[in-house]
Amino acid sequence: MFSIVLKDVGILSAIALVLSVIMVIAQRWLSNYGECKIDINGKREVTVTGGNSLLSSLTEKQIFLPSACGGRGSCGACKCKVVSGGGPLLPTEKPFLSKEELLAGDIRLSCQVKVKSDVKIELPASIFNIRKYHATISEIVDYTYDIKGLTFSFDEGETVDFLAGQYVQLNTEPYEKVKERVSRAYSISSKPEINNALQLIIRYVPEGICTTWVHRHLKVGDKVTLTGPYGDFYLRDTDADIIFVAGGSGKAPIKSILEHLMEVGTNRKMTYFFGARTPKDLYLTEEFKAMEQIFPDFKYEPVLSAATPEDNWQGKTGFVMPYFPQAIRDPKNTEAYLCGSPGMINAVTKALMENGIPKDKIYYDSFG
Amino acid sequence: MDISAFILFWAAIFTSNILLTNFLGMCSYLSVSKEIESSFGLGISVMFVLTITTGLNWLVYNFLLVPFGIVYLQFIVFIIVIAAFVQLLELILERYAPALYYTLGIFLPLITVNCAIFGVSLFMVIRNYNFIQSIAFGAGSGIGWMLAILMLAAIRRKLKEKLVPAGLQGVGISLIVTGIMALAFVGFSGIVQVQ
Amino acid sequence: MKETTKEQRIRARMQPGAITLTGFIGKDKRSLGSIINADEQELNKLGRNAEEIAARMQYFSDASFNTFDGSITLDENYLVETEITRGRIPCPYADGGQHRKAITKLTNLKKNKSVSWTALNIHLIKEHHFFEGKGSTFRVEPSVLVEVLFD
Ligand SMILES: Cc1cc2nc3c(=O)[nH]c(=O)nc-3n(C[C@H](O)[C@H](O)[C@H](O)COP(=O)(O)OP(=O)(O)OC[C@H]3O[C@@H](n4cnc5c(N)ncnc54)[C@H](O)[C@@H]3O)c2cc1C
Ligand code: FES
Ligand SMILES: [Zn+2]
Repeated sequence: MFSIVLKDVGILSAIALVLSVIMVIAQRWLSNYGECKIDINGKREVTVTGGNSLLSSLTEKQIFLPSACGGRGSCGACKCKVVSGGGPLLPTEKPFLSKEELLAGDIRLSCQVKVKSDVKIELPASIFNIRKYHATISEIVDYTYDIKGLTFSFDEGETVDFLAGQYVQLNTEPYEKVKERVSRAYSISSKPEINNALQLIIRYVPEGICTTWVHRHLKVGDKVTLTGPYGDFYLRDTDADIIFVAGGSGKAPIKSILEHLMEVGTNRKMTYFFGARTPKDLYLTEEFKAMEQIFPDFKYEPVLSAATPEDNWQGKTGFVMPYFPQAIRDPKNTEAYLCGSPGMINAVTKALMENGIPKDKIYYDSFG
Repeated sequence: MDISAFILFWAAIFTSNILLTNFLGMCSYLSVSKEIESSFGLGISVMFVLTITTGLNWLVYNFLLVPFGIVYLQFIVFIIVIAAFVQLLELILERYAPALYYTLGIFLPLITVNCAIFGVSLFMVIRNYNFIQSIAFGAGSGIGWMLAILMLAAIRRKLKEKLVPAGLQGVGISLIVTGIMALAFVGFSGIVQVQ
Repeated sequence: MKETTKEQRIRARMQPGAITLTGFIGKDKRSLGSIINADEQELNKLGRNAEEIAARMQYFSDASFNTFDGSITLDENYLVETEITRGRIPCPYADGGQHRKAITKLTNLKKNKSVSWTALNIHLIKEHHFFEGKGSTFRVEPSVLVEVLFD
């Protein structure tokens, strides 16, 4: 009896074993794509192990395409031009591509494209400056009830090279119920002359994944990673007059620009309008007021749109737009740098153009 | 059983449709039939997997289980074979037909537990089919299953615009529709009898 | 009612911590289909449909969105305040949609009642007839919407 059971179990195990062996061999053989070459802009070539996504293969080679969802195919930020070797367009990519991109047929989501053969891609040159930084939080300050400034000091030997006004992506770590990592964009608020650390100014967003982590969980001494720099919002090197307009946490990039100008010195005429609702939304006021003494021609103008009589506010009120004419000398020779909500940017751009400032001299982060 | 493979093939589609006369493979039939595209995807996968696994299981049954006298283990063995085959198919598709893999990808794991697939393998044993008959029966059942789910999906698409009593929405009305479809298919059963 | 694999994948994206911090389901135990059906029936009773509601929400959000500080009074009767954070979040249905992180608060001054929603809510209602599960932070009650949105 016992030997029969043993025999049957043996045969069953043998069948399972044979099937597993077939599976393992198949896996080895079918999922092994060997070494693949990625040709970038026809100028640079990297060799990676095939079978992984283009996004992660590039990351492995220290080339960082933007991504907000961590490669799960839900943000569409990782678009990239794949000239050849990308295989057919997948159903997971289609929803993210515009009509033009579908027609062109070579724009793909790099997190969905698997590298299975030699691939040829094209990337903008600015991508190569993007690095991943490992940093320790060295300082956290409370600017208002919902805005914090955080300083991130890089590990030994890591330095960043950015233009005042650009932004980085902060990568979160899993916390509480949040099992995945997400990345969020934050403008750099420190000056480029400091290259072994960064400061970010982060406003708490109710129920926000990243900002809840930053405001409720991060402490001095915690380790985080950042990637960057990104963005085409940066100070143009000219002699034109400048109007800065910011709202909410939009102070960050302008702080960077002004601190940079303090470092290199400038004679440009500059006016900085900061739009907020009530006095409790104001921060860093003394710092910016003090700059009026340092620059030859600089004015800081906080403007409140919802100050109540109890606030006892002496400064400018309403929207910032009516104050533009006083600040503009020669509209054709004036640049504007805007940072804030899209509604604010629309309203301000319209007013600036009515005042004669050319559209191509009005700068803001195009996506947001 | 000596019935020509050709006839068996057609019989499996119409007169003894695996879904509408044996009510096998109901679970995915009800849940996936909401959309025609997905139904088509799943239908194709079921058809393909059914045809091949029935063949494979015939070989395993006649050359392993019977000679070694472990026919009583057929349930486990059949399931293992089906699961392994589906896995293998996933790997092959991922490598050679990525677009198809992404369309079918989500349905493949679902198939492993589709009882129609398992049921066909068992029928093949009970009814003593030979190899050719088994393949024909498998393929026919697959096509029959796909036919049934496509019909239900099409009907459900029409039903969307109709007023269905609240309590019957979803599964309720689908089962009623399935019942009526089954009645219609019974009409074919006089033509050949394979049970 | 059993959910299809597609629904299961959507539901997975709706869990807390997947796309958003608190997710879209709340404590609701019902399937996605049942949640949507129940709200549709409630709307039916109120004599409105999801498209109509979404269009009205969009109208208010758009109006306040285009102002300098996000607040505007419309038709003398409605105070609209929108707070926008830069950046976008995807729709849990993974249809490629990217939505602003904007919260609009609408106050019906005549009825002295208000309701808040986000840009993603408008899309979810318009395209998926989904008002979110009971207990979800960002669920909007159809009955409250109907009351505040219309005269
Ligand atoms: C170029 C750029 C620069 C930036 N610079 C800065 C900066 O300097 N400082 C700064 O503070 N921010 C900045 N941001 C914004 C920042 O990137 C984040 O978008 C912001 O901090 C919010 O991230 P979060 O993860 O906390 O919120 P998320 O979790 O991504 O979003 C939360 C929002 O999603 C919506 N939502 C959540 N759940 C639901 C639901 N169930 N149903 C419907 N809607 C829902 C709500 O509107 C909620 O408020 C910048 C953005 C860009 C694009
Ligand atoms: S990284 Fe988000 S879609 Fe590719
Ligand atoms: Zn959607």
